Amino acid sequence: MRRVPIAERANWRDRALQAGFDFHTIDGDRYWDESVFYAFSLEQIETDIEAPTEELHAMAIDMLDGIVGSEEQLSRLDIPEPFWDLVARSWRARQPHLYGRMDLAYSGRGPAKLLELNYDTPTSLFEAAFFQWQWLDDQQGEGRLPAAADQFNSIYESLVEAFATLAPSLPRPLHFSAVRDSAEDRGTVNYLRDCAIQAGIECGLLDIEDIGVSADGRFTDLEDRVIGTLFKLYPLEDLFREEFGRYLPASDTLLLEPPWKSVLSNKGILPLLWEKHEGHPNLLAAKFDAGGADLPRGWVRKPLHSREGANIEMHHEDGRREQTEGPYRGPGIVQALHPLAGFAGRFPLIGSWVVGDRACGIGIREDRSAITRDSACFVPHAILDEDSGVLIA
Amino acid sequence: MKRSRTAALVLMGAAPLLLTACTEETTREGLYTSIDECAGQVGDLAACEEAFDKARQEAELSAPRYASFDECVAEYGTNRCTARRDANGHGYFMPLMTGYLMAQMFRGDQRAGLSGSPAFRDGNGHWKRPAPGAGGVYSNGVARPMQAISAEPNRAPTVRRGGFGSSGSHRSAGS
Repeated sequence: MRRVPIAERANWRDRALQAGFDFHTIDGDRYWDESVFYAFSLEQIETDIEAPTEELHAMAIDMLDGIVGSEEQLSRLDIPEPFWDLVARSWRARQPHLYGRMDLAYSGRGPAKLLELNYDTPTSLFEAAFFQWQWLDDQQGEGRLPAAADQFNSIYESLVEAFATLAPSLPRPLHFSAVRDSAEDRGTVNYLRDCAIQAGIECGLLDIEDIGVSADGRFTDLEDRVIGTLFKLYPLEDLFREEFGRYLPASDTLLLEPPWKSVLSNKGILPLLWEKHEGHPNLLAAKFDAGGADLPRGWVRKPLHSREGANIEMHHEDGRREQTEGPYRGPGIVQALHPLAGFAGRFPLIGSWVVGDRACGIGIREDRSAITRDSACFVPHAILDEDSGVLIA
Repeated sequence: MKRSRTAALVLMGAAPLLLTACTEETTREGLYTSIDECAGQVGDLAACEEAFDKARQEAELSAPRYASFDECVAEYGTNRCTARRDANGHGYFMPLMTGYLMAQMFRGDQRAGLSGSPAFRDGNGHWKRPAPGAGGVYSNGVARPMQAISAEPNRAPTVRRGGFGSSGSHRSAGS
């Protein structure tokens, strides 16, 4: 695994425009950064990332039976009691799931470590599935990367396959839903909708804020149609707690991701995984945290529900402390600190995608700090045959 | 190769393929208890027969399987269970297909697809269909759970909006 500078495509902004990628620059700051890429060997991808991702996914799914049937575990995860039955029913009915992203710390050597599961509302999907794919294709066309270069990225094919598999059983109408004012979230649902249409699924877009309820508590779209399936790029825990959440348990609307994902997208799954698989090479020690106590050296504190690296507290072995601001409160966990490896002052985080139950690609975000926040840049990757000793760029 | 062979966009591109625009594609799906009932409602006997045949084949593969007759009867009722043998000669019981779903996809006026899938009525009178899951990108075993077929009609006057979205205080709700 190496961080390799490379010439940008002269026309990448046009390429972005053509593909509707309108959040490559956010608030004036670069988000898509193709002045460098990460090079992996096939061995690193297959042995250190793909196989552990499949294994960790299977381990996480395997936890569900025990958790959804246990009031104690559901309480530890801070899932509100009125939704316990909904979560359990959705799992027992095996309501379909679409995708997730696990964040891995990986340096190129040794086992990748699971930092967290983003199994409810993962973003950076379009960048990983489409735009970095196109980047490699273009760079090969320009001769800057060898024709034999590859990429761990069958995300697109897996998404279309997943939608085609689910198509017969997703009640219609189906809407893709995100918050109105987030270009990034809209980009993600636009892309998912694009894939769904390619799989032959008729579907629409609906802002989260525009979801309605009928007098008998069913969710409706802007034309008063009862929503059959709602893909919501919006956290389940927020849906549970907001005003319309009380209509969820009796509603027939199928949610994607389904309510049982609230168990896996929760940082509390990390100590539960550790309790069951203590010492697993891809897991970090983790415990539930009552709060209050001082964080010991070598540990990180994370709220159960934080996103985009917000409200993270880190106490390094050398005594340094880092902390990020954010809106998240409530109970949390502590996790053994496994600092991201530094490459030229940047700290890459591997987002390893799971579509259906298949590990099918990665996207890399790198920040200038050990905590990956929403300031991180998305950087493409390629698989190069390091044995040949040829590395162009 | 570890990457997709292609990576197409149909809607997001600057020149989207109009053929595939969401609004121009419609799917009509109905639940029917017989070919005659289907033909009476849809007016296309050949389509109803084709969907029925597909559903009947699918039923043999995806109907729930029970080790004993009593287990099957408990779920689906006395006259609705039958014995089968798998390729290895092991016996099992499954409910009879009591209806089928026909879905027709149209692009404009042209029919672009037809599918038929089995439906089963349980002992409480509720219609169910096999959930997706097995095979391909999904690995969760061979057991295909059943899920309810949602009842039509699908319209209801909205009395209020805006009860979701209040937590979106930061840049993105994603992660």
